Amino acid sequence: MSQTTKMFTISGYVKEKATGESLPGAAIFIKEVSKGTTTNSYGFYSITLPEANYTVLYSFIGFLTDVQPINLQKDVRLNISLSTKAVETKEVVISAEREDKNIESVQMGRESIDVEKLKSLPAFMGEVDILKAIQLLPGVSSAGEGNSGFYVRGGGPDQNLILLDEANVYNAAHLFGFFSVFNADAIQNVTLTKGGMPANYGGRLASVLDIQMKEGNNQKLSVEGGLGVVSSRLTVQGPIKKDTSSFIVSARRTFIDLFFKPPFTPKSSDLYGNSYYFYDINAKLNYTFSDKDRLFISGYFGRDVFSFQSTNSDFGIRVPWGNATATARWNHLFSDKLFMNTSLIFTNYDFQFEGGAETFRFKLFSGITDYNVKSDFTWLPNVRHNVKFGGQYIYHVFVPSNASAQSGDVVFDLGEVIRNYANDVAVYINDEFDLTDKWRISGGLRGTVFQQVGPFDRYLHDPLNGAINDTVHYDKGDNVKTYAHIEPRLAIRYAINNRSSLKASYTQNYQYIHLASLSSISLPTDVWVPSTDLVKPQFGTQYALGYFRNFKSNTYETSVEVYYKTMENQVEYQDGFLPENTVNDNVDNNFVFGSGRSYGAEFFIKKSSGKFNGWIGYTLAWTERTFPDLNNGETFYAKFDRRHDISIVATYNISTRWTIGATWVYATGNLNTFPERLYVLSNGHVLEDYGGQRNNYRLPAYHRLDVSATLNGRPNKKFDSSWNFSIFNVYNRYNPFIIYFDTSYQDNTVTIAARQISLFPIIPSVTWNFKF
Amino acid sequence: MKKKLSRSIYWPTVLVSFLALLSACEKTVTVKLPEVEQLLVVEGYVETGERPYVILSRSLDYFGTLNLNTVTQNTVQGALVTINDGFVTDTLIQVPGFGVYFSNRLTGIPGRTYQLTIQAEGKILSSSTYLSAPIPLDSVWWKVDGRRDSLGFAWAHLTDPDTLGNCYRWFAKRINQYTYGKNIGEQKDSIFIAPLGSVFEDRFINGQSFDFNVVRGKTYNSNKEDDLKEENFFFKRGDTIVVKFCSIDRSCFDFWRGEETQVSNNGNPFGSVSPIYGNIKGGLGVWCAYSTSFDTIYAQ
Repeated sequence: MSQTTKMFTISGYVKEKATGESLPGAAIFIKEVSKGTTTNSYGFYSITLPEANYTVLYSFIGFLTDVQPINLQKDVRLNISLSTKAVETKEVVISAEREDKNIESVQMGRESIDVEKLKSLPAFMGEVDILKAIQLLPGVSSAGEGNSGFYVRGGGPDQNLILLDEANVYNAAHLFGFFSVFNADAIQNVTLTKGGMPANYGGRLASVLDIQMKEGNNQKLSVEGGLGVVSSRLTVQGPIKKDTSSFIVSARRTFIDLFFKPPFTPKSSDLYGNSYYFYDINAKLNYTFSDKDRLFISGYFGRDVFSFQSTNSDFGIRVPWGNATATARWNHLFSDKLFMNTSLIFTNYDFQFEGGAETFRFKLFSGITDYNVKSDFTWLPNVRHNVKFGGQYIYHVFVPSNASAQSGDVVFDLGEVIRNYANDVAVYINDEFDLTDKWRISGGLRGTVFQQVGPFDRYLHDPLNGAINDTVHYDKGDNVKTYAHIEPRLAIRYAINNRSSLKASYTQNYQYIHLASLSSISLPTDVWVPSTDLVKPQFGTQYALGYFRNFKSNTYETSVEVYYKTMENQVEYQDGFLPENTVNDNVDNNFVFGSGRSYGAEFFIKKSSGKFNGWIGYTLAWTERTFPDLNNGETFYAKFDRRHDISIVATYNISTRWTIGATWVYATGNLNTFPERLYVLSNGHVLEDYGGQRNNYRLPAYHRLDVSATLNGRPNKKFDSSWNFSIFNVYNRYNPFIIYFDTSYQDNTVTIAARQISLFPIIPSVTWNFKF
Repeated sequence: MKKKLSRSIYWPTVLVSFLALLSACEKTVTVKLPEVEQLLVVEGYVETGERPYVILSRSLDYFGTLNLNTVTQNTVQGALVTINDGFVTDTLIQVPGFGVYFSNRLTGIPGRTYQLTIQAEGKILSSSTYLSAPIPLDSVWWKVDGRRDSLGFAWAHLTDPDTLGNCYRWFAKRINQYTYGKNIGEQKDSIFIAPLGSVFEDRFINGQSFDFNVVRGKTYNSNKEDDLKEENFFFKRGDTIVVKFCSIDRSCFDFWRGEETQVSNNGNPFGSVSPIYGNIKGGLGVWCAYSTSFDTIYAQ
């Protein structure tokens, strides 16, 4: 580029024609210079080039590519609307340039999920589930049935940052994990980053799951919904003022609780009085003030409520829990090269457990609330650089486990309500730039400060007898502990040719919140605690290397990635911990600390065009933990150490109306801690000795096949309806959910039997969806 | 009351009741556990005014046959067991044929620490326990439960000392005879029985003066009528109940708390791993001092 060459900018938004929804991640490609860019998460793009004539291609998976000739003699603002392929058009499609983003981009360890495509895959009990879908990707393991937690590259479930319109979702599960809180009808876009995290993300070691809600159709009013085995859904969206503002409201509720009431369940039945339901509501509003300013307001509210009433006594319990989030965002263009988004975010997770009999009442509660403000800038000075910078501040209020109880007028002393308060600050800058045509580098720095502040009481224990013997009190606003760290991020791509590339990345992350899990399975009772004077921040490093190659004009995308990770300051409850130990005590006084290490390789082959779509993912992995106070200080494999993990996902369009799909998964069994020997006391009790060996037994492997068939309505009808038929666990595999030991006593002989519980046999389901 | 609280808030029971509504399926499977060596198991007590004794046995294979025969076969004979109370070292005498060893020279005296050493089968085991001053109950009584006419729990009033870290264990024994049923004429209990929930500490109640109630315990796998039917857990009007209330040290509390947790978790698929922490160096089990005080309740 000579100095005399004038530079101009092409910028604008890419949208979906039918609904006006922004298209984040759409590709913009300049044919003459073989360079391109992608839209950001608000659909904005900007590319700066020397004065010349160009052919610009706008493309996005599932949409017709739009070709625009541009005579670049001044800055050009060009908003593009793309049509879906389903819509009949006479336009000629240039298909020579297919998506090769995976080769071109510097990013590795990232996958986007097309929510619409998910709808033709088999769905458990008919509920399309984003969290279940990402568990089909290599490097992501399911925690098992009845568990929404997922493990990314050997990291714990708390090391995944789950964002819904930028708001942190702390518990993404409904019904103890059988369903996720994300209603697929309200979701536009899902991106999972499991490695090579750029500096604009942080706060978690393992992954970021970024979920964006739909903005709402700004062209016409539309209603869609569905009836399934488990829940019913309804979504209404439309313009408030066409092309300028729109809204979407989406709601979902289960109705199984109705079957526990008359006439289905008579009052005399043992089941009467049991009830469970969940519901959630997503809502979003947006307003376009001008090409430069846009406002979005969105929110989520969901609750699970379980209740139980004993028929034999007046003992009863009620357990409500759920998340609430609210986000206000303002997009502003300072110039056609500088984009800003500023957000105000509120998020809350709350768990309660109330119960009692006669005059005795008790209540257990825990939760977390965040108040968050953040600003993110995208600066595109020229075609070679994409600079992101910004900062955020979060005020956290943690309520780890607390309890209250009373009998009549007598209130039990179960301790003060313990809360933890913290300030959480992050600033970052990241530049992604082309060094040469072959080499692209993304380098960034993220600076984080985390401060635990008062009011806070630290209970101190007598080292000899373990009893609490002193308390350190901090007043409101007092600094309890401050941590400050710099996290470098680096990713490099080397383009071998236009079909293959090599990528490498190095990341460091600090995580200032921790999830303490008591049971062997994730439960809503798991409590979030911040880094404190006692709990040091989690620290992770990850090295990853990948080879990416596309075949047959990008019809097939393949990749191999290897990774090596270390994790410091991991927490577990100490051996022998009981929930009541947290009464009148800090929960973190019951923790022990250790480190982790994981490494593995991921193989991926994907076909995302044509009649036949799908992917195969295979992961070979190891993950270990070392805690001085557990397992005699010896290294042990983590519970979810999975040597092999395979997913096969396929869909086939038989005709314009019928689509069939299938998924098959295989995973090495989880590890469990089983007793090693028995001993008998003089009171006749037979006791188990665990010998201190953690995770000494591997459960049988998990595998399962699901199939589905989707019948779409006739095209171009005003009222569009479709049916989805799914069969879960087709060959009725009894996968182990848990193995326990049952002691029985007969003819003066004690026998112990290992019993395996499996949750789901073959389950067919049908869902009816409509749209008008 | 404490017992009711801590056990009722046990979350997994909720999950179990919910899963029962789902189509969960269950089957017996074969589990191959790693091979492990046998360990020696100690169960020893020193009680105020009583002679200390120790029961010595070996641990058993997890899936092995377990009956009176195998238990008897695994008691340990010919061990060298000594106790030192700070003044005297005594070598315990074995009851022939059983793995029971008792002291002829020592008795439990509050304020003393009892050091236990065992040599057996090529292993050396050791432990120590402190016999503290007794903390007696202020009063004990029996009260009819709710709408029942002749059944109720034992009640007591305790004033916990100001110092944190006191631990307690409760035993009871009915010394009256059955006047009905198939065991007529027999003394209702032959030994002191600790119910589940018999151990507690002063974490929630430090320095307080309060009432608490206790259910009636039963011997392991008892099939006596009053342990199976409506009298289960209750004392009955007319019972004469001797209460043995013990102050225990922390390591002894930890063992019995772990023991009770494990016993009550048995068969609960969602029970977390509940290891028991004994205080025997080189083996399993417990060496426990009971600082006793006795009371009698006439259930009227």
